[in-house]
Amino acid sequence: MVSLLWLQGGACSGNTISLLNAEEPSIVDLVTDFGIDIVWHPSLGMELGKNAQKLLYSLARGERPLDIFVYEGTVIMGPNGTGRFNMFAERPMKDWVIELAHQAQIVVAIGDCAAYGGIPVVDPNPVDSIGMQYFRRHKGGFLGADFRSKMGLPVVNIPGCPVHPDWVTQILVAIATGRAGDIALDDIGRPKTFFTTFTQTGCTRNQFFEWKQSASEFGQGTRTGCLFYELGCRGPMTRSSCNRILWNRQSSKTRAGMPCLGCTEPEFPFYDLAPGTVFKTQKISGSVPMDLPTGTDHATYMAHAAMARVAAPSWSKEDIFVV
Amino acid sequence: MATLDLLVSPLGRVEGDLDLAVKIDDGVVSDAWTTASMFRGFEIILRGKDPQAGLIVTPRICGICGGSHLYKAVYALDTAWKTEVPVNATLVRNIAQACETIQSIPRWFYALFAIDLTNKNYAKSPNYAEAVRRFAPFVGACYEPAIVISSKPVEIYAIFGGQWPHSSFMIPGGVMSAPSLSDVTRSIAILDWWREHWLEKMWLGGSVDRWLENKTWDDVQTWMNENKGHYESDCGFFLRYAQEIGLDKFGQGVGRFLAPGTFFQPELYTHPTIEGRNAALISRAGVYDGKTWHEFDQARIKEDVTHSFYEGKKFLHPFEGVTEPIDPEEGRKHGKYTWSKSPRYDVPGIGYVPLEVGPLARQIIAGNPNHAAHQNYDPLIYNCYQQMGPSVMLRAFARMHEAARYYKMVRQWLTEIKLHDRFYIKPVERAEGQGFGATEAARGFLADWIVLKDGKIANYQVITPTAWNVSPRDGQENRGPMESAFMGVNVADAEDPVELGHVARSFDSCLVCTVHAYDGKSGAELAEFQLNGNGSC
Ligand code: SF4
Ligand code: SF4
Repeated sequence: MVSLLWLQGGACSGNTISLLNAEEPSIVDLVTDFGIDIVWHPSLGMELGKNAQKLLYSLARGERPLDIFVYEGTVIMGPNGTGRFNMFAERPMKDWVIELAHQAQIVVAIGDCAAYGGIPVVDPNPVDSIGMQYFRRHKGGFLGADFRSKMGLPVVNIPGCPVHPDWVTQILVAIATGRAGDIALDDIGRPKTFFTTFTQTGCTRNQFFEWKQSASEFGQGTRTGCLFYELGCRGPMTRSSCNRILWNRQSSKTRAGMPCLGCTEPEFPFYDLAPGTVFKTQKISGSVPMDLPTGTDHATYMAHAAMARVAAPSWSKEDIFVV
Repeated sequence: MATLDLLVSPLGRVEGDLDLAVKIDDGVVSDAWTTASMFRGFEIILRGKDPQAGLIVTPRICGICGGSHLYKAVYALDTAWKTEVPVNATLVRNIAQACETIQSIPRWFYALFAIDLTNKNYAKSPNYAEAVRRFAPFVGACYEPAIVISSKPVEIYAIFGGQWPHSSFMIPGGVMSAPSLSDVTRSIAILDWWREHWLEKMWLGGSVDRWLENKTWDDVQTWMNENKGHYESDCGFFLRYAQEIGLDKFGQGVGRFLAPGTFFQPELYTHPTIEGRNAALISRAGVYDGKTWHEFDQARIKEDVTHSFYEGKKFLHPFEGVTEPIDPEEGRKHGKYTWSKSPRYDVPGIGYVPLEVGPLARQIIAGNPNHAAHQNYDPLIYNCYQQMGPSVMLRAFARMHEAARYYKMVRQWLTEIKLHDRFYIKPVERAEGQGFGATEAARGFLADWIVLKDGKIANYQVITPTAWNVSPRDGQENRGPMESAFMGVNVADAEDPVELGHVARSFDSCLVCTVHAYDGKSGAELAEFQLNGNGSC
């Protein structure tokens, strides 16, 4: 048996709810087939009131072993460093988090908020939120850059707003089946297996991207074209597996015609949602995209784009996602 | 007389941050305070941002009803920007909103509500063993299939919106997607699979159409005894067992109800306005004061912060609304006790009062015989309400009943999409304006008020279902709906107060749903009360 405790701080429960959409394994399979003992979870916990509190204290004091501590949501530090904007079981949540993180074999930050701060840290960061081991891209966060769980690992970040259920279940199965050592992390704590390819990898609009053909507007306009040029898609610079492991087994934002918001990257939401930045590609001198596909620069990008446009076949200017 | 103060924390299953303080005299709750214990300040974040920022930010207020947040946020912008919304887009928005709610129905029932039916306090009930067999968490015969099946309706959401939860595919003027034929046919196939495998096979033990013939509580009894399938179904069993353990006897609440309505008749809402909203609704808006129905008017809503952790004792309409958090320690000195503001509604002839929102409210409004041809009229739950009054059981029953209704609607809308017509009409992005958008999240009233100035958000206020239901006392010292529902509840075991859990969960409070997430009695009494609670752990 592998014991798991799941708590939520400055969160929306979206990651929990997303997890309930999992199949192979489902959340029930995790318990019944993979021996994960969910000691407590805010949505699934059986214990109420004082019983739940006794349980939390026994874990926080190390009286009961804790293998996996999953944390969803930001750590809320306000007002004035007291953490009183987020009380849980009669204490600031942050006090629970620090004790539990030091008792756990592995600490997993689920979702953007826990990993990097996410939406709650957007200017003016009203409740002083912070990620578990990062604030946006800066290492440190609540637990500090040098934090290591009992197993000697930094916080495992599974970002996404919300996370895809498979990203979570597969990592939990890896831990439960003794493969924690195989989880390679990238330079911002993400499991490489899910966060090395791009959102663009597997996007059905790739051919339009290749020939630099733009979707002109939403709705019927997304029956053709790529969402990068006008509609603000971050697919080419976002490390996610959204188009490899589809959402709800059916689709993804970009397939459905919605630009990728880059939610697996620490800067999400980009530009702090300033006026003029939502669903619009940011441009330099009116025409050149400001943010370019990862690994390119403006000179090479523009040369390549000009060539591609010239070479674009006629079908690339027509609807291909036809009725 | 034995008086016991009890602080139950954490209580709310779904999101852990609901604290409940109750006073118990001889095993009966004599007073109650609900405390939302987290504040995230999303309304503060939205100030000064892109007008469309609410489409990204508000779904993240609540991962359980994020699609509902998107739905009302887009109508707030549609009304502010005076957009034109094509028929197809309204259909797709309706389908998506309804699919989120039908996902929530089995998920809420089996994962959150029914597991308490297996509490050892009910071990002496004749049907206890059967309840455990069906509903025990993780291992119950119905638990896993229902959880897995509940993820099906949102597959349809993903087909239109890319993913669920947290898409932002509804935008002013329409939707981002333009489905193809196979998107629609696949959606129909998924929906019918869900109907067959959960709604008919597990829940009703019979056909949807036969269920929808039930117009009264007596009809339900006839249905129950008609055949073994109905009697042994989860619905049949739940209604029998709930009465056996007395869930029909407690959790009454304030006895007044509010529904903002949802789903638009596409042709009637191509130019969304605040004034034109009620008439275009399919699932109706309205207020029920315990005796009669009234038209819904958003202008009659105000939020009180007398007992909430915000500056002062302001009582403002959301267009003028402010969100000025204070340190809870400081607030407690002034009788404040929660992050939830107190939304109150000016009921004609009564004045500003707390109202219950949610499926029961919706169904009581649906029982109003005065309706236009395109609007839902359904007398069943209103009849049950008249026969036995509100209770934990009736709240749960109202919600479950909606599964059949929503199925029918989504099925119909899917046939109405005209694939070759438009899904989006590019709007003029107006720099100034104000808008209002509302919907029925699974757990009730959800609405945004937006004020735009200089191409930016000047003010953004959200009122959630949880804010209505778990609201604290207001300036008049009226308890919030859930606080009222706790009054008079018998608590058998103060160490494991399952009855309080039932009441809380019958409202399906989703605390995180309270964006601005305090008191009646004097502050001093409350502080003492809290102290007792702390002393007990
Ligand atoms: S729509 Fe986005 S993810 Fe897809 S090809 Fe274009 S830029 Fe890449
Ligand atoms: S497509 Fe982009 S915004 Fe959407 S879930 Fe994937 S990484 Fe996040």
